Amino acid sequence: MANENKDNSSLRVYLFVFFSVLLLALSVWVVWDDEFGLRPWKKYQEDYKTLKHDKLEREYKKAVVEFERSGGHKKLAELEAKLEKAEAAFQSKENQEKYAKLNKQLDTAHDALVVSQQELRNLRGQFLETEYYFTKTQQPEYKKKMDSLERQIDAIGLVVATQQKSEDAVKGQVSAMTAAKATIQAEIQKMKSPLEEAKERTAKNENVSVEIKQIHIADVDKADRCQSCHIGIDAKSSVSSVQPFTKHPLSFVYLEKHDPNKFGCTFCHRGQGRATTSIEKAHGNIKHWDEPMLEGDMTQTSCLNCHGDIKSLRGAEKITKSTELIKKYGCYSCHKIPGYETVGDVGPILTEVGTKVNYSWEVKWLMDPKSYSSIARMPKFYFTQDQAESIADYMFSMTGTTRHDVDNTKSKPDAKLVEAGKALWAQSRCNLCHVTGGRGGNNVKVYAPELSKVGGKVNKEWLFKWIKNPNAYNPGTKMPRFRFTDEEINSLVAFITTEYQDEDMEYKYVQPVEIKAASITKGKELVQKYGCYGCHKMLGMEDMVQVAPSLKKQGVTFLRNSEMREKIGMELSSIGSKPVDMLDFGKMKKSISNDRLTYIKQKLRDPRGYRLGLRMPNFRLAESEINELAAVLYGFTDASVPTRFLVPSRQELDRMAGVQSYKFTGDFAKVIADVKCTNCHSIRGIGADYAPDLSFAGSKLQESWIRNFLANPDVIRPLLQQMPKFGLTSGKPLAKVTMPRFNLGQQKVEDTNKTDVDVVINFFQQELLSSDIPKAIPTIASVPLPDQIVKGKALYDLKGCRACHQIGTDGGALGPNLTNVGNRLNPGFIFKHLENARKFKPDIVEPNYGFTEQERIYLTNFLMTLKLNTK
Amino acid sequence: MKSLPEITNQVKKNLIWKSIFRRDYRNTVRDRAQAVFGNVFLHLHPVQVRESAVKLRFTWGMGGITFFAYLLLIITGVVLMFYYHPSIDQAYTDIKDLEFQVPFGVILRNLHRWGAHFMVIVVMIHMFRVFMTGSYKAPRQFNWGVGVILLVLTFLLSFTGYLTPWDQLGFWAITVGTNMGAATPLLGYQGPFSEFLHITPFNDVRFALLGGALVGGNALLRSYIWHCVAIPLIATILMFVHFWRVRKDGGISKPQK
Repeated sequence: MANENKDNSSLRVYLFVFFSVLLLALSVWVVWDDEFGLRPWKKYQEDYKTLKHDKLEREYKKAVVEFERSGGHKKLAELEAKLEKAEAAFQSKENQEKYAKLNKQLDTAHDALVVSQQELRNLRGQFLETEYYFTKTQQPEYKKKMDSLERQIDAIGLVVATQQKSEDAVKGQVSAMTAAKATIQAEIQKMKSPLEEAKERTAKNENVSVEIKQIHIADVDKADRCQSCHIGIDAKSSVSSVQPFTKHPLSFVYLEKHDPNKFGCTFCHRGQGRATTSIEKAHGNIKHWDEPMLEGDMTQTSCLNCHGDIKSLRGAEKITKSTELIKKYGCYSCHKIPGYETVGDVGPILTEVGTKVNYSWEVKWLMDPKSYSSIARMPKFYFTQDQAESIADYMFSMTGTTRHDVDNTKSKPDAKLVEAGKALWAQSRCNLCHVTGGRGGNNVKVYAPELSKVGGKVNKEWLFKWIKNPNAYNPGTKMPRFRFTDEEINSLVAFITTEYQDEDMEYKYVQPVEIKAASITKGKELVQKYGCYGCHKMLGMEDMVQVAPSLKKQGVTFLRNSEMREKIGMELSSIGSKPVDMLDFGKMKKSISNDRLTYIKQKLRDPRGYRLGLRMPNFRLAESEINELAAVLYGFTDASVPTRFLVPSRQELDRMAGVQSYKFTGDFAKVIADVKCTNCHSIRGIGADYAPDLSFAGSKLQESWIRNFLANPDVIRPLLQQMPKFGLTSGKPLAKVTMPRFNLGQQKVEDTNKTDVDVVINFFQQELLSSDIPKAIPTIASVPLPDQIVKGKALYDLKGCRACHQIGTDGGALGPNLTNVGNRLNPGFIFKHLENARKFKPDIVEPNYGFTEQERIYLTNFLMTLKLNTK
Repeated sequence: MKSLPEITNQVKKNLIWKSIFRRDYRNTVRDRAQAVFGNVFLHLHPVQVRESAVKLRFTWGMGGITFFAYLLLIITGVVLMFYYHPSIDQAYTDIKDLEFQVPFGVILRNLHRWGAHFMVIVVMIHMFRVFMTGSYKAPRQFNWGVGVILLVLTFLLSFTGYLTPWDQLGFWAITVGTNMGAATPLLGYQGPFSEFLHITPFNDVRFALLGGALVGGNALLRSYIWHCVAIPLIATILMFVHFWRVRKDGGISKPQK
């Protein structure tokens, strides 16, 4: 019994010891973990310090080598010897006596000055006091006293001024005595300072303390501690290329405009700014943190948070390009997206489509648009043959009662006519917008339909009418009216319908078949269900928008547009910050990663994949397009951004300021309505960036040249090669683009007796002017004009202009050809352009040479002599 | 130079020493009892405890462990209050800061959180033991009642503390929990007979709990004050009654011979 007790007690002791040691070990671990385990940034900061030290050491060594290489030691020794000599001269008895004397003089002068200054202050004080009493009591004796004081002040003021002068004179003499010494000392200092500064930097680095670095943005209570690890992110140069020691990439674009101390990091990069304990937590790549960090180009999506206009925003190029996709595919047609409320229909008008296309083609197109054209933008709705026929029946019933086809292959037009049409096709540059056989379509933003198989799609009568006046069929079209004669149109129609035949087309309804009423009803239901009217104008649906599902139970299926602003799809204005828990992954819950970006991408890849009954069609986007589009959608957030960060768009600013946005008026508006200049050119912010901006063309170009060019673009234009775009804008780079000939000048503009070319020229001369561009350039009377021209030519050669510009056959092709520049440009424009080329074209490659005004006059006068005789 | 006993004697004569220790301690039964009587912290404790009552096999020591957990929660809770603002803008970020920035914040918060779970478990085991040993029977029936109230208070402490981090978990737990309150007969607007008292969502018991009709800033403040002030105060008082009553009812119950 006693033995058992003893055993028990010794076991207890062992247990006690064991748990005591365990507790002690745990306590030590807790302290260690809190100090180091949970604060990994300490090590990063130490490492950064070492790296920076090494870098500064290297810089110091380099400075030393540089110092020695330039004979620094020798120069320094010379200077020091000089200094010694100067010192000796200064120390000579004679000089010392003089110096002591001067110093004594200075002391006396200073003492006298101080006394007078004190006196002056005293009098001023008295004056103020008296003034106070005078204003209070209005007694004349005070006034008297004030006057006398004022006189005294003036007197003593004069004394002070003279004394100051004499003191300064003595001071000047004193410093003149030490001036020689001081100059040498300054020189020595200047030689030594790079080394000393380098040393100082190293010493400063040693004193940097290891501590948490935090940016606190008080009004949104955001605390970003990212810099605790990314210690050198705002440095000018990296100490290492290894994360987290690098500097911010392109910091001169991003950080210069967004001071990290004001903006923090997570407004743009998301992630968990407060976290510092591990990379995963800080970057937000953990469960239940909905905002993983954005890296690389994806970060540009955050530009959308604050910037209303990203079109010309530096550093937002990728996201700008991606945003184009929303316009291209017309996402806003079905989804509500802020900022796209006023963008027009993405699809063509369908009100009279029965007069335009073959029924068989329509059905085929509805079932799979890509089977007709690989660049078709219309998505696939997965309609069955039956459904597609019903929809086609509904559309054809608007203009007729039959399903009907016209087989263009049956009629063989005159070969000569086709030949003429082919020439016209080339001359009119149809391929600039339209793709045929995989070629053309360089002006991508027009989104003109592919015409490779158009012969199987449209009927000839319609095509004739269309080319004659596109606006008559579709007032919103981008197709210009080319002002062809009827014979020309006939030849073009003959060419198109013979050249671009559809081999796979089956013409089932060459014999028209009556449309059944039941099919029309079914078609209408389908059109309503899938919201065709979102992208297309359709008869009977002009004002319809489908009500969101949640409102359906009230028994209302359709409302007028004006009554209801709901769109068929989900609103996308805050998809980029929707909580992940609220995204419906449905069937895909287990098979894909449950995060927001993956959700958006999968939705774009397979719009009906999450569950049954979804209506979104499949756009069959390329993977690259999915990534781009997802990046844009990810940027549509309801993130709370302080209003001081917001940069409204130009239009918004104009709207707030009450400025009407630019609109074409008068006769020119009538011309541009069917020539559609803004398909390619931009005028006062309206239009595309495919062709040169014409906002100031009136100041820039000579009238006769414009007239010649419009009449005969293909003759003059080759001298003006299109500048390569370097991928900066979205147009495909193309070596030579020529403008189509619109056959202007043969017709009068409606309601006027002016020809359209006169209207255009008049508009250029009256409206497209810049107050910055002078009509004439300044003259230099002292130099005769021929000499100026010679000097200008010399400058042209000296500055190497020919590296980019061509005159005759001599020179490069990067810049515009200057052979005929004297006929083309106004001298005032050249003069201003040479001063600052970026003023008129911000992304121009031409460097700024910093010419003087005189040089610019010489150059302008020289360039104006370059004229090609076109007559 | 004074000898050690002399110095000791002098210190013991000092008024400060005497005001604290009163008299010398000799290891006698009387003095041992005096030590307990004269100490407020031991005052609640019986002067003498039967050997059988400290047998771990019988009591499991669960009551004492519960009290220990409670003390731990009080201490960590007070320190946590230094770092926490009961406002909807700051509450969540304060918790994040505890995790990332506050020295020993991680262990502090985890001690409080796991300690709370531990206390709930231990308190239930304690109740189970009391029930299984029949210790709720007379003369201990009153103390059983006090214990039941303390159990409810423990649950309420857990419930109110759940909302304080202001995260999704707490938010929805409180939403669900207080919605149950809305179904209380008479006092909840969804409960039976409430129409007789003209109860609406804006004057029922749920409204009182939340300080509003939704879980918002007022709900957070209310749960914070219940959690940190009101319930601990009541629980502490009842605990002292509980301990004192153990003593008055004849000490910790022991196995029947």
